[in-house]
Amino acid sequence: MNEVEQLSAPLAIVVVSVVLVVGVYVSSVVGVVAFRSAAGQPLRPASAALFPAREARRLSRQQSVRTERPDMILRVLAPAGFLGLAAAAVTVIPLSPGIVVADVGTGIVLFGAAEALAIVAIFFHGWSPNSPFALVAGYRFVAVALSYELLSMFVLIGAAIPAESLSIGAIVESQADLWNVIRQPLGFPLFVIVSLGVTFSGPLDLLDSNDLAGGGSVEDSGIQRLAWQIARHAMRIAFAACAAAVFLGGWHGPLLPGGLWMALKTFAVIALLGFLDVFVARISAERFVRLAWGVLLPLAFLDLLIAGVGAL
Amino acid sequence: MTVLLVASALIGVGVWGALAQQTFVMLMMGIEMMLNGVILATGAFWAFTGSGLPKGQVLVILTMAVMAVELAIGFALVAAVYRARQTDMTEGIGSLKG
Amino acid sequence: MIDVAFVVFSVAAVASGYGVFRVDSMIRATYLLLASFLNVGAILVLLLAEYLGVALLFMMTVEMIVMGLFMVMFMMNPAGLNPMNMVHQPRFAAAAGVIAAAGVAVVAVFADFPDAPVGAESATTRELGIELLGGSMLVFESIGVTLLATMVCSVILSSATGRFGDGYEGSLAPALEPGGDHRPADDLYDPDAAMGHSMHGMDHGGMDMGEMDHSKMDHGDKDMDDMDMGGMDHGDMDHDS
Repeated sequence: MNEVEQLSAPLAIVVVSVVLVVGVYVSSVVGVVAFRSAAGQPLRPASAALFPAREARRLSRQQSVRTERPDMILRVLAPAGFLGLAAAAVTVIPLSPGIVVADVGTGIVLFGAAEALAIVAIFFHGWSPNSPFALVAGYRFVAVALSYELLSMFVLIGAAIPAESLSIGAIVESQADLWNVIRQPLGFPLFVIVSLGVTFSGPLDLLDSNDLAGGGSVEDSGIQRLAWQIARHAMRIAFAACAAAVFLGGWHGPLLPGGLWMALKTFAVIALLGFLDVFVARISAERFVRLAWGVLLPLAFLDLLIAGVGAL
Repeated sequence: MTVLLVASALIGVGVWGALAQQTFVMLMMGIEMMLNGVILATGAFWAFTGSGLPKGQVLVILTMAVMAVELAIGFALVAAVYRARQTDMTEGIGSLKG
Repeated sequence: MIDVAFVVFSVAAVASGYGVFRVDSMIRATYLLLASFLNVGAILVLLLAEYLGVALLFMMTVEMIVMGLFMVMFMMNPAGLNPMNMVHQPRFAAAAGVIAAAGVAVVAVFADFPDAPVGAESATTRELGIELLGGSMLVFESIGVTLLATMVCSVILSSATGRFGDGYEGSLAPALEPGGDHRPADDLYDPDAAMGHSMHGMDHGGMDMGEMDHSKMDHGDKDMDDMDMGGMDHGDMDHDS
């Protein structure tokens, strides 16, 4: 259905690693800039640009504290799984007209499956340290996540309808004349809400939040904390890339090469997510669950209806 | 044929688990294992003897829907039994009274 | 390569399925079941039922999340901190499992199946879509109505206001003496209890409140420490530099 050639395995690993490393670094810098502008501190761009490296060095030299009888398998599996799922989600997204790691025929469903398994990884992260606040945070997150899980699938299926295919490459190609953010206006805001949820930021910062003394990361220190932060930013990259590909037209654009457009659009979504993370206050979990099932899910159905009518 | 052997192994593990476990939730996990084996067997039949007709895939989807239905009603029943009998063991609902 | 992958997935599926009923920790049991489903989904993808495999992955993940919540709700020993072996009729069940597997395996080995493999080039997902909304539309709609009935049923069966009274009445423990309160004598302060009972209750109620304050203080300290660490994550590094 599409003429891109599948990359060989080592090249695929290199591409995904480069995307994730660069993306995690950029996302951390955006987070720092957003925090400083919200806190009214001077921005100091040089220090912001070096912030991820300094933070990584600080955390890697910090002592790793162990709790009593943690579930060690799940404790290691949580950040590893989260990062691996972010990498898996990146593999199905076309990064430029010629580069896609694995444009499978059911890319959208695979992305949704990676998102669902990410919820499992986050639950492991809350469950494994055998600590009450972490467990409460994990449960709270699962309750909220089950609510927006359906939202993401409906919105992505709505974007797949004009493409008549489930592969993300085909969805990008179907936006050659009109981007999905204009054709299906409800899709992009709902997908941003889902991205905020899966990376537990902004109004859905219910996992590692300060109102639970650090929530799921209350017992994390040192390498564990660094790994979790990296995995969270990597998932944000994956969701930003997917939003850019599915809603913002992917690598379509007038003058610049396709890959550069994709990078610019992904960066725009990362900036949006990073600033929403800092500037929007946390919604209480009960209120969000009520909002998601009562308001956002009918909006997702309306989005599907708009997509269906548009395809007729 | 090997796939069917794997499916039969899954069904066997499911039957053993469903009969041996004392609590309702583990019993349901045994039933899920059995349905897992059934889904694999149906998929194998479709792939090797169905010549790829799409109606075979519809059967697999039907089995997956049955799984979802069983899980939902099973958990609702577990909650109802807990409220009525204060137990989560299968021995607890031995009598028909109440 | 595909054969190697198939062997790996099948062995992993059966092994994790066996582990479901063997591990002590209930959460691990649930997610070992998820691992078994993931492997079966991978095998389905290998069998070229691409959409079915990935949809199985997706569906089973969400189902196992819900199952994990129910595990912790209804099972003792959810974290597996104590070893336990909760089986009844173990030998009968093992025999039944072996007989069931043998029965199906005998059919698999000795029956004569027609050989009509799926073509390697067929667009199975597209055909499935066309079939679902075309020839098998009745099946599709019946599944939809069945799922709706399931949703309504499960809400009714587990609703808080049951047919025979408040649903929560049944989930409270029975009283230690007939006609007494369901809570033990040294529980928190009970305003409806009799005078003698209430004085006893108030003593312990005071002690309980004291304990609660103490624990809140501990968590309060922890709160401040972790808020510092949380703030530093967000780039509040000006103190150091």
